[in-house]
Parts: sequence; C-alpha cells; structure tokens
Amino acid sequence: MLLSRPDQTSRTAINNLSNRLFFNNVVQRCLSCLIMCIALVGCAEQDDFGHDQVGNFEALWTIMDEHYSFFDYKQVNWDEVHDLYRRRVSNEMTDRELFDLCGDMLKQLRDGHTNLIASHDVSRYWIWEQHPVNYDERIIDQNYLNFDYKRVSGIKYQILTSNIGYLRYDSFASGIGEGNLDLILSYLSTADGLIIDVRSNGGGLLTNVETLVARFIPGRTLAGYIRHKTGPGHDDLSEPYAYYFEPAKNHIHYLKPVVVLANRGSYSATNNFVSIMRGLDQVTVVGDTTGGGCGLPFTSELPNGWRVRFSSCPIMDAEGRLTEFGVPPDVRIDMDEHDRSRDAILDAAIALLTSRHLNPTTSR
Amino acid sequence: MASPQEISTMHSEFSEFSEFSERSQPLARLMALLLVLVTSLAAGAQEGTGRSMLMVDAGYASVHDSYLTPITYDGLDLGLSIEATRWTGSGRWLWQLGVGADYNHVENPSGNNDMHRLMGDVAFNMQRGWQGVIHPRLGLSVGPMTQVRAGIVYNAVNSNNPVTVRAHWSLGAAGMAWFNTRLGRKPVTLRYQVQLPVAGVFFAPEYDESYYEIYLGNRRGLAHVGWWGNRLDMTHYLGADLRLGRRLLRLGYRARIEHWTASHLHVHDVSHALVLGLSL
Repeated sequence: MLLSRPDQTSRTAINNLSNRLFFNNVVQRCLSCLIMCIALVGCAEQDDFGHDQVGNFEALWTIMDEHYSFFDYKQVNWDEVHDLYRRRVSNEMTDRELFDLCGDMLKQLRDGHTNLIASHDVSRYWIWEQHPVNYDERIIDQNYLNFDYKRVSGIKYQILTSNIGYLRYDSFASGIGEGNLDLILSYLSTADGLIIDVRSNGGGLLTNVETLVARFIPGRTLAGYIRHKTGPGHDDLSEPYAYYFEPAKNHIHYLKPVVVLANRGSYSATNNFVSIMRGLDQVTVVGDTTGGGCGLPFTSELPNGWRVRFSSCPIMDAEGRLTEFGVPPDVRIDMDEHDRSRDAILDAAIALLTSRHLNPTTSR
Repeated sequence: MASPQEISTMHSEFSEFSEFSERSQPLARLMALLLVLVTSLAAGAQEGTGRSMLMVDAGYASVHDSYLTPITYDGLDLGLSIEATRWTGSGRWLWQLGVGADYNHVENPSGNNDMHRLMGDVAFNMQRGWQGVIHPRLGLSVGPMTQVRAGIVYNAVNSNNPVTVRAHWSLGAAGMAWFNTRLGRKPVTLRYQVQLPVAGVFFAPEYDESYYEIYLGNRRGLAHVGWWGNRLDMTHYLGADLRLGRRLLRLGYRARIEHWTASHLHVHDVSHALVLGLSL
C-alpha cells in the first residue's frame, strides 16, 4: 500500500475527527458510570417490613432484636419470645389487640425503659408498682416542714428543726441553675448534715446528675462506665468507657455528711445519681433499693407510626456493675403504711446525721 | 481541542454574563459580605470573566437515617445557595465556588411525626474547559472538586437519639456540559453540571452510640474514610440561563443524592428541586 503524507487540511480534519471520537467515547463512558451509580444508590437498604399487623409485629421484634442491650444480662431468649407471640398475631387483629399483644411481649424484658407508644396508650413495665411506695410528700410537708419551705429550680429545701438540711428534688428533668444551687447550698450550709430526697424521682437528664454530683465531690471522681451497641448482634457491645465528673469550679461545695433517700421509684437518671453518690465517703443511702434502669433509652419507630423506646447504652457504676435492677441502700428501711404522721425513712436519716454530727468518727 | 476562535466564542458568552455581575444592585449589597468569600477566590487569583448567581431551590426530599428511625421520611426541600464562576487562563480553566444551605421538613408515612434536616456546604472546583469539540456551540469541562458539607437531622420525639450530626469533607470530580443557543433574539445557555465526590472523611457515631457518650469524651471511631464502597454523594443540575433585562435568570432542576453506610448505620437522602436563580 502506498502511503503519502497528508496535507495540512487533511491533518486538521483527522485531528478534529479524532478529538470528536475521543470525546464521544468519554461522554458515553461517563454516562454509563453515572447510570450505574444511580442504579447502585437506588438499591440502598430500606425498611422492608409490611405495613400490616404482621409486618408491624415483625418490625417491633426486629428493632428490639437488633438494638436492645440486656438480652444476655437478663437471660431472655428473644427467639423463643418471637415464636411464642408470633403465632398469636394475624392481620385480622385490631390495632388495640396488636398493641396489647406487643406490650405483653415487651414486658418479657422486665425493663421500665421499654415502652410501646401509640396514640391511645403506652405499654409499660414499672417495677415500682410492685413495691411499697415509701414516700408521701404530704407527710413531709405537713409534719416536717410545716408547709414552710423554699422552692427553686425544681428543688424544695429547708433546714429542719433538728438542724438537718432537707433538699427534695422531684425530677432530673427539671433544669438546675448553678446560681440557684449556690444559693440553696449556701442557705443549707449552717445545718449539721444534708438529706437529699430523690424518692419517686423517675429520672430525667443525666447532665443534671452531673450538675448536682459536682457539688459533693472534692476532686475528679470516677462516676462509672458506659457502653453502647456497635452492631445488630446481641453481643455487639463496645468496651466500657470510664467517665469522670469534675467538682464544680467556682461554686459552693457541700462536703458535710449527706444522706440520700431512695425508693423503688428512684429510676433511670435518679438510679444513676444514687449509684454515684453511694460511692462517696460522706454519703449514706437510706430507704429502699432504687428502681434501676441503667440503660440509656433510644427510640425507634414501626411502619404504622407507633414508637418503641428501649434500653440501648448500658451505664455501670464505678465498680463496673450494672444497676439495671437497682442500687441497694446502705440502710434498708420501709415506711410504716399505717402511720400517717411519720416518715420512717426520713426519721432514720435525721437520726443518722444527728448521731454522726455528735460522733464524727462514726462510719456509715 | 478548541481553537482560539472557539474559545473566544465560548468566552464571549460568559463575558455577556460578567457585565451583569459587575454592576451590583442595592438588593445584592445585602449579600456583599458573603460574596467576598465567594468571589474573591475566583476573581482574585487572575483577571478573568464570570458571574455570581443567587439560587433558591424548592422541591421534594426523602430522608432515611437509621440512627433516628428505620422508616424513610419524605416532604419539603428548600435551599439557598450562591455560586461564583470564573474563567481564567485565556478561557481554558473554569473555577467555581459554591456556598449554600438546604432545609428539609419531612414526615413519616403515618403522618404522625416529622423530622427537620438542615445542611450547609461549601464546594470548590477547578475544571479544564473545551468548546466546540463535538458541536461548535457545545462546551465541556471536567476537573477536581472538594466539598465540605455539614448539618443536623432532628427527630423531636426520640429519647436519647433525637439528633444526629452529618459532616463530611470530600475530594472528587466535577463536570459540566453547556450549549449556547438563542431563545428568539436572546442568548440562552443550557447547562448540565455534576459534582461527584469520590473519597474523603465523614463523621458518624457508632451503631447505637449516644451523643451523651461522645459528650463524656469517648470520641473513638467517629471519623470514617469515605469512598464509593461506603459513601456515594452526587449532585446533578440541569437548567437554562436566560437574559432578563440587565440580569441573568436561571431556571433549572437539581437532584442531590447522599448515601452512606458505616457502623451498620444507613443514610439515604434524596432531593429533587426546581431551581430559580438570579445573577448578582
């Protein structure tokens, strides 16, 4: 074949043709890649539960199976629970029937942090309903405070006639102002000891626990350990992470003897507060075992819009123990249900602090 | 490759745009401080031509975040962004800087709960441009891009997982194709643009890790290397720039897809929005 050198016009034409072919090829490849990417993204994992009664039951069971953190600790065989309840589920059930059945299934976990929440009801397992109340606000207001007390930041406080300070905190959901706390502790500083009453305090924000505890610790204090689920397996839990509380800087601290009053209604964040305070040298816990609830609850959702709350992140005390079933008191005592004039737990606390004031070497 | 004449043609189309950008109007002065950031990088390095556009997006959004809920929510997508574009290097290089924010208000299929998603981003790319390779009035450009995007998704009814933070920094590719034509006697530029982050770093808590634990100091495992195997993020824009008096009016459609998987968590957000823009 005879080849001749192309002239200038031919070379330009060949170059242009070559460039166009190159760009056509590039454009086609780019479009192909783009289409593949979009197709891959379209295959993203989505919830695939049915929206009927069976689908909602399976969604609830699966959410708990993948996120609940105490199966092994409570020795609950969740697969068996599924088999037990699944055979009772049908698409012909009413919403209320399905709700009641699902609520019963969740009670197998014996967990106050686990609730199914619908527009018409909230399923619950509240351990304090099975134990003595051990708290009556009216008795204290009438017979110990004579209806004369201060109240700020959700805290009721007064110095009792026995010169013991009394501080009642109803709920850790109530925000505590640092300035308010300074004024409260300043007022109570002349008392010989302090009673912190967190009976029937159902919990709230853990940050409020830190705010309060920070007034009773002399230095950096190991508060406990926290873990979390790292995957859907029952054993997929992170290594315990030690967390510490620091004393409140530039604020009033109270380092005299303290008694914390607790009952079965002292739950969740309150349980956490009691578990930390119990480890302090100057603190004695009096009353009943707390209600527990050491799993930080998360919330999820079913296809029908019902929400489910469950224990997700276990929090342990400074000794590495789970307090899901409560923190035992140092001094165990119940109120006398027949005596409507006295609070036996409060009386015991007053006696303890008074004796400790008279004899400072007495250990708890 | 584009001949000098073709580049000049391409250049002249953008020159028409640039004359509008240089005459700031009083309303636009309100955005002056933000525009300093947007325009200085593109205009400061080298004398060139370009434009700045203020754009509003409105459309549909779908949000799936398994940290908050296994259910996919959908609803409203709103966005506000500023995009500065400059040609440099005798019209061979295109610089783009975009700053924007978008908000989604989405609802679950049962209609008894909603979520809010607020994101902000800054993206920069530098593309090599060619004009008239396939068609005399068609231009193409492609080049590297980088993007920082961060925000939150909020689900008010959740107990200790009411919010999750989204943040990523990515490197990737950006590309653009434009076609200069006329609508009647007015010049119109039709444009398709894609931003495709390839790799980077993104934030994600572990599976059921609470933000309280992060607050307590446990920050292990929060940063993840993102690549197409675990994170795919694309923004597509298709639209037209039309002359409207002394300004340019932009009408278009934008699709944004963000998908990632990390620590057994899944995020899949999609938005489709109409875009209305005006040159500054």
